[in-house]
Amino acid sequence: MDLQTALVAATPAFIASAVEFVEATTIVLAVGVTRGWRAPLVGTVFAVITLALLIGTLGVTIVTIVPEHLLKGIVGSLLLLFGLRWLRKAVLRFAGIVALHDEEVIYQRELAELRAQGLKRTEFDRIGAIVAYKAVLLEGTEVAFIVIAFGASGAAALNSAIVGAIAAGIFVVILGAALRQPLTMVPENWMKFGVGAILSSFGVFWFAEGLGAEWPGDALSLVPILGVYLLASWIATRMLAVILPEGAHVEARNV
Amino acid sequence: MSSALRSIWETLWGLLVEDGQLAVGIVVSLAIVWAIGTYGDVTLRDLTGWLLLVLLVALTLANLYRAGLNARRKITAKGA
Repeated sequence: MDLQTALVAATPAFIASAVEFVEATTIVLAVGVTRGWRAPLVGTVFAVITLALLIGTLGVTIVTIVPEHLLKGIVGSLLLLFGLRWLRKAVLRFAGIVALHDEEVIYQRELAELRAQGLKRTEFDRIGAIVAYKAVLLEGTEVAFIVIAFGASGAAALNSAIVGAIAAGIFVVILGAALRQPLTMVPENWMKFGVGAILSSFGVFWFAEGLGAEWPGDALSLVPILGVYLLASWIATRMLAVILPEGAHVEARNV
Repeated sequence: MSSALRSIWETLWGLLVEDGQLAVGIVVSLAIVWAIGTYGDVTLRDLTGWLLLVLLVALTLANLYRAGLNARRKITAKGA
């Protein structure tokens, strides 16, 4: 596998996984700060083991058994369903129509909930472990999906996607450990917007490949596809600013 | 296990209910492009990707335009 192919598979998986790791790390940090670090770290380790089994069995099985063109069609469809949803919400947030998804608010809410349950440091903190396990498993399942999706074109691509996701995990965990505070410095909406655009671009690319279409320049076609999505998003944000200049800041389900 | 089931349920709910119109539009676009790619000639098949991109961009812009109008209507109704 050449370096270009490896980067194509690893970089999007890195970026997309980083978004999920940021959310999981925020919750683990909240648990650790309020209830001690042992339980959330145990919960995190168990969640990572569960995820490794999931990726190791399901991911490899899918890649080796299902015909490549069919897999690309299915994965392309799924990427479009997820990616365009993220892109839509990110544009609505940029335009002020939907309220921003604030990591600081989530962190403070987690702190308040955990403090309300009290601290018992003398015995193993099962609640802390379960909260961390659920958070890591929940976000990790999405990482597993991202890894399988970006690694769909073969075993080598799957390995690159796994490397990208692991690198993202290490990067975010080191960042979180260094900061020991909510990861509000990461502009989440920008991350989600970028990930939405990337997932949607890969969705179009792979669905067409699944139909047997040949792209000019192969993977290089992803660049103009991404460009079209970015341009359309900018136009949409401007359009919404004209429709509702002062914004609305409502919940996403209300639009 | 319950968290995984809850995650699946929330994802399905978000996809099919919250963003249902967008999801339906995506599925229809994919079906159109699939039909063209399957029954069209090779030249047409190589254009399916660009066609899909155009359809999805138009769909997303229309969906966001409608979302903007909905939000404005709700704000106006609340203020009245």
